Amino acid sequence: MNARKEIASPRPWLMGQLRETALDWLYVGKALLAIFIGGWLAMRMDLQQPATTMMTVALVMHPASGMVLAKSFYRAMGTLVGCGVAIALVGLFPQQRELLLVGMALWIGLCAAGASLYRNFMSYGFVLSGYTVAIVVLPVVQHPLGLFDSAVMRVSEVMLGILVAGLVGDVLFPQRLRMALRQQLADQYRGFLAFVRGSLGGVLARDALEEAHMRFVGETIQVENLRSSVVFEDAGVRAHSPRLRQLNQHFMEVSTSYQTLHHLMNRMHAPHHRDTRDRLMQLCAFTATALEGDCQPSPEAAARLALELQHTERELPGKISEQRQGLTSRRELLDFDTGAELLGRCLQELRAYVQAYAQLRRPGVPTAAEKEVVFQHGNDRLGALVSGVRATVTMLMMGSFWILSGWVHGGSAMMLATIFTGLFASAPNPSAVVRQITLGFATGMPLAFLCQFLVLTHMDDFGLMVAGIVPFLLTGLYLTTRPTLAGYGTGYVLSFIYLLNLHSPMTFDPVYVVNEAISQIGGVLAVAVAFSLFGNASSNGWLRHRLLRQLRYQVARACEAPLNGLRHRLESATRDLFMQIMVHAGPRARDWLPWALSVHETGRAVVELRNRQSTLPLVEQTAVVAVLEAFARLYRSDADKQQGAHERALLALDTAMATVADRPALRQLHLLRQALLDTRSVLVATPAASPQPHQEEVPHAP
Amino acid sequence: MPREIAVLDALVPSLLLVFVFSLLLQWAVDWVGGRYGLYRYVWHPPLFRVAVFFCCFGGLGLLAMQ
Repeated sequence: MNARKEIASPRPWLMGQLRETALDWLYVGKALLAIFIGGWLAMRMDLQQPATTMMTVALVMHPASGMVLAKSFYRAMGTLVGCGVAIALVGLFPQQRELLLVGMALWIGLCAAGASLYRNFMSYGFVLSGYTVAIVVLPVVQHPLGLFDSAVMRVSEVMLGILVAGLVGDVLFPQRLRMALRQQLADQYRGFLAFVRGSLGGVLARDALEEAHMRFVGETIQVENLRSSVVFEDAGVRAHSPRLRQLNQHFMEVSTSYQTLHHLMNRMHAPHHRDTRDRLMQLCAFTATALEGDCQPSPEAAARLALELQHTERELPGKISEQRQGLTSRRELLDFDTGAELLGRCLQELRAYVQAYAQLRRPGVPTAAEKEVVFQHGNDRLGALVSGVRATVTMLMMGSFWILSGWVHGGSAMMLATIFTGLFASAPNPSAVVRQITLGFATGMPLAFLCQFLVLTHMDDFGLMVAGIVPFLLTGLYLTTRPTLAGYGTGYVLSFIYLLNLHSPMTFDPVYVVNEAISQIGGVLAVAVAFSLFGNASSNGWLRHRLLRQLRYQVARACEAPLNGLRHRLESATRDLFMQIMVHAGPRARDWLPWALSVHETGRAVVELRNRQSTLPLVEQTAVVAVLEAFARLYRSDADKQQGAHERALLALDTAMATVADRPALRQLHLLRQALLDTRSVLVATPAASPQPHQEEVPHAP
Repeated sequence: MPREIAVLDALVPSLLLVFVFSLLLQWAVDWVGGRYGLYRYVWHPPLFRVAVFFCCFGGLGLLAMQ
């Protein structure tokens, strides 16, 4: 669009700001248009609650059209499933309100737990299929025969809202998410190549390495998230989606290998390693020459670079044997071979990454190999259980209070509490979000009251009504575009539309509105209480530690899980888990980064070792299996028991290295041993950091 | 075609079935367009998608309601 002209402008900063503001207002305009079209159509079609349609539009609207479509799709799925379950539940317990309540609470808990096992809008779909049950059942809880009509009405209202939001979002001045994805991929490519070019010839401190790794993990996850939404927006991207996954996979692999290479070089600081290290450095410098060419993120430049890298890859074995001459002792040779092989692997994976980037936009069909790549999420089951229990308990408490107190509007409070406990279950820092939403509700409600009884009573037809509401909604929608006030704006818009409850013919009942407002505030406050009692990993250190333990278990999985596709699953699951830790722990995640690095490095070496395992003779295989078992135990054990596991793993490694004659397997074993002995590694640091590991063990001894 | 059809004993407007069928049809056309890169020849792909859907739904609906 205007982006191309912007470059020529003398004041790009001002133009950028203006452009952003214009985009924000464009979004506000689109959202308003969609909300009122939805409301008008719902009234024309005589639907019971046009407010539901308007609320759906307000919830689904997003500046990027891919987001709107993705969210719409999962919302539609969730609503359909929820309606089906609602009918089934009422059919099971038509006369038993307690059983019905318990059934609903269990279902909602199940959905909340399911939601925390998925990411993005998929998780949103789960939450929706949970609380749609409440939305469908509650209005007809006094007369169950009306249930089917209620379900049909709810589905029609929500679907209408989704259609309108999808049409307006996608057809009217769409903001393409595809562009954001392309930009992200280009940034990732340029950033990684610049990082490699700047560091391949020299030494990189552990801190800088950790910093870079954290950035790469974030970028990987962001690409995966964008990809999962863009596929709804663009059929072309959808067809090439396996290729995007493949590219991301290559990126993960090369960043792991490259990081391992640096660790290996850093470990060779001792004087007796000097000679080997210098030789390896010369190989690195030779490889770095390939990257001196054009590293621009255009497909043509990438294709040229891939050719260059291929060329270097072919020359590397010659250079390696050249540098290898003169090394005599077995240990020096092993060190050199391990480093040289790792460098070769890095180069090969870098070439694969660059090639995948070059071919990204090439027309054609993804190959079978590209389709096999999966992005696996890592999860803590217990964290999911906690969010399920949180949703169930909140609903049961609110429901019991409703039944026992006979509060007429208690149902709304319960519904709202259920909706928000589900929606924010895996949000970073949910308490802060709920606080913002509560403030938004507190602002939106009085304004809805004012609008309804002072303004709308004077408005005669649809056009005037729109004119009366727009100033109020405009403010709220604009607030949702401000990053810091998004929660506040969302609360404002939702409570405003919900309380205004537009329908045709409009009825004005101040008592009802005030009662409803009180129950809604009650519901939101209950959510705040639920999150302060059962926090998620953001506020609960124990859950965060469980995430870390899951991350460590990935090495055990690398040792034991079936080998087919294991590398892909390992790379993606460890990154996903670490991303969750980063999201929840904020800056504190930095302390746990060494674990992520150690898991990546060891996990990858274990997988490579297992790939060689089947070709070895039987005696050697037994030794390798012992190593795998020892490593699985080491990464499973808690910090205080690590010392023993560490020694056992080292022992198993030494035995295996004495037995195994196969060179590639030997190199992986050597790599594992180096990682185990690294004094700056977290494996060694942990027992030393806890003051008296041995004394702690004494009381347990019989 | 009758105006309403009983699906699992619930009366459903037959236009709804036509609507769902048109959605499937549009999805198939969309898939083919994306797979062979045909959208490169289209000025406004989303508008095109919507238009294709309206053509399907309109045509089939008129046929069904004849």
